[in-house]
Amino acid sequence: MLSRIAESLYWMARHLERADNTARVLDINVVHRLAAEEGLTEEGQWLPLLTILGADDRYAETYPDGRVSVPRVIQLLTQAEGNPGSILNCLRLARENARAARDRISTPVWETIDALCRTAEARLKATLPPWQAAEFHAFVHREVATVYGLAQGTMMRGEAHSFTRFGALQERADMTARILDVRYHLLLPDPSLVGSPLDYYQWGVLLKSLSGFDAYRRLYQTGVRPVDVIDFVILNPDFPRSLVYCVSRLERSLERIGQRPEGEVGACLERLRAHLTGVGAADIIAQGLHEYLDAFLTALLDLSDALTRDYFNHEV
Amino acid sequence: MLRQFQAVGASGSDARAEGPATAYHEFYRDDFQPREHYVPLWEHIQRAGQRGLALKAREAHLALHNEGVTFTLYSDQEPGIERVWPFDILPRLVTAGEWAPIEAGLKQRIRALDRFIHDVYHEQCILKDGVVPPELIYRGRDLCRDILDVDPPGGVYIHISGVDLIRDESGRYLVLEDNLRTPSGVSYMIENRLIERRILPEFFQRYRVRPVEHYPERLLQRLRRLSPRGAEDAVVVVLTPGIFNSAYFEHSFLAREMGVELAEGRDLVCRNDRVYLKTTLGLRQVDVIYRRLDDDYLDPLVFRPDSLLGVPGIIRAWRAGHVALVNAPGTGIADDKAVYAYVPDIIRYYLGEEPILPSVPTYQMTDPQDRDYVLDNLERMVIKAVSESGGHEMLMGPTSTAGQRDDFTRRIQADPRRYIAQPVIQLSRHICYLDGELESRHLDLRPFVLHGGDEIEVIPGGLTRVALTKGSLVVNSSQGGGSKDTWVLAD
Repeated sequence: MLSRIAESLYWMARHLERADNTARVLDINVVHRLAAEEGLTEEGQWLPLLTILGADDRYAETYPDGRVSVPRVIQLLTQAEGNPGSILNCLRLARENARAARDRISTPVWETIDALCRTAEARLKATLPPWQAAEFHAFVHREVATVYGLAQGTMMRGEAHSFTRFGALQERADMTARILDVRYHLLLPDPSLVGSPLDYYQWGVLLKSLSGFDAYRRLYQTGVRPVDVIDFVILNPDFPRSLVYCVSRLERSLERIGQRPEGEVGACLERLRAHLTGVGAADIIAQGLHEYLDAFLTALLDLSDALTRDYFNHEV
Repeated sequence: MLRQFQAVGASGSDARAEGPATAYHEFYRDDFQPREHYVPLWEHIQRAGQRGLALKAREAHLALHNEGVTFTLYSDQEPGIERVWPFDILPRLVTAGEWAPIEAGLKQRIRALDRFIHDVYHEQCILKDGVVPPELIYRGRDLCRDILDVDPPGGVYIHISGVDLIRDESGRYLVLEDNLRTPSGVSYMIENRLIERRILPEFFQRYRVRPVEHYPERLLQRLRRLSPRGAEDAVVVVLTPGIFNSAYFEHSFLAREMGVELAEGRDLVCRNDRVYLKTTLGLRQVDVIYRRLDDDYLDPLVFRPDSLLGVPGIIRAWRAGHVALVNAPGTGIADDKAVYAYVPDIIRYYLGEEPILPSVPTYQMTDPQDRDYVLDNLERMVIKAVSESGGHEMLMGPTSTAGQRDDFTRRIQADPRRYIAQPVIQLSRHICYLDGELESRHLDLRPFVLHGGDEIEVIPGGLTRVALTKGSLVVNSSQGGGSKDTWVLAD
């Protein structure tokens, strides 16, 4: 397959996944804020979000007075032209990449992405009022899910589908690690609290940001305990946003890409797998969750560099 | 409501009312009865009735829409709008007797033109013998010195051409343009046929229609044979300018049908006078490139240095004989509207035969006598820029305004080499099913010719383009043209 096409498919999926994650994280934060949380300033609620999405600096640039407000955050993350990671910009890039790989994705997949992007453009011509944000974000979730569903149902399980899956899974693993890192860090400044039941709302936000709240509740009926949350989000092989799940699907996608060029992708993926093997949640807490996740994110970045080198951009 | 079609022509509501009465009607005889070979079709039309045809037309449009058969329309204001390919469900029939001279004439013409290109890039006998004025070649912008004395793989320049034919007032076929560079339309020829088979299966039962759908397979076999490393392991690609090109649909169609990669310039790279494809498994040497990119954009090292669409070094690789380019660089010199006037002489010169297909009389604006005559008679002329295609920069005398004629007079006087003039030919007409009525419209025919060295093959069919605007003689899809399936009959 042409390198350019493979790269387009990979980025198409990453941008879609990113738009979806951003919408979800934003949404949960808005809903959570409505859940009458006391004692937390607006800043305390919204800053973590900016950190998760890597938008702190952008925010500071855009709003030099530093005041954090809901409409501003929503605007920046949903539609700001100047923010390359805004949902709107992600959708545009997804469409642009999809168009470049038009021949390799099925028609329904293309049409859904195209319509999603056009509708988003139309809806976001004016500033999205915060009270309409939830509806818009739900629309993004639904449409991205439709794209995934159509891809699953209509695309051959060959190279094209595998590069697409690879992009989505990599973005998802990245986001999961960052949500866990930032939220956990903020929620648990005091390590002595490990093991005790935690604030239902705050931890609910973490799990809901990963669409894992209901599943977690069913699995662990003893309340929200950090060690369980970490086990669930990092190591549960059945939770479709856990790090272990993402890595095992990355492995499968790489296999399905087929014949492999000389390179490091395989080794990088093995390092990620090794990072997740033979550790328990308690070990991770003991060695420091932040450090642990940081190492994971670094290995993930190595993987995407290796992928680019091996498949997209050979030395010529 | 079900309503039978009247013999529309006989009632005089249609055929006589439009356009100059002199245009040849392909469907009706002078007494407004269908021509003999159209009688079975006419019976089918009657049987289908208004409602049947409406359903079929809707079905055709839906199918084209669903399959994404589109072309891109450009205008000054818009960046390019993708439109569903406009298609008329009523086929145009060409009898075996009509087809035989077309086929023979096209083979003759392409053989001679290919010899002409080879000659101009090698010995230049035809220029030395004064048959074609050398200044016509040297002053045109198509002669490329970097490709002199190259023997292209297979020895052929014009592998693929799509020659535009029209029928004059007497019904005689004439060549209007040769289209030897990167002619478009073959995908629409095939799509039209696929749609017709689906929506008019009963119509096909009364005719023995020669098939056209094997074109991509034929093309692939011919491309593979050009491989410098042998046909067995030939790596063939289609080179497209990209998704914003108006013919992108066709490029992707052909790549898909042939099962080869659709590459853009940035997907290819030259090393050691060889061309490579950048794939997920590393660099892969390419043997044959069916390029749908004009010469101008092909290689920034040789042609336009600002081209980002091409591949630097590709001409060197071609000259070194490591890659076949289809068509070969340089065909533009024979596809120049000023050279067009000399094609009959070119045929006589190389083949010693009389041309089978006549050309449209052409006036050279560099000839003072011709020029004066044309400028005095602009209302009856078509003025064309020699290097433009797609109906751009063109003056249609009969429908022009005084202002437009003045404008063209100035342009011609400023740069006479740039223009030619031809008398307006009333293109033949045919019935079309438009908005629920049978209407007559002007049309032309673009058959496709594959030149394989030893033998030349004309695909029995072609793209019939229809001027959908009442009375219009401009059939280009970029200017509001539509299309019809073309049925070449076996007997």
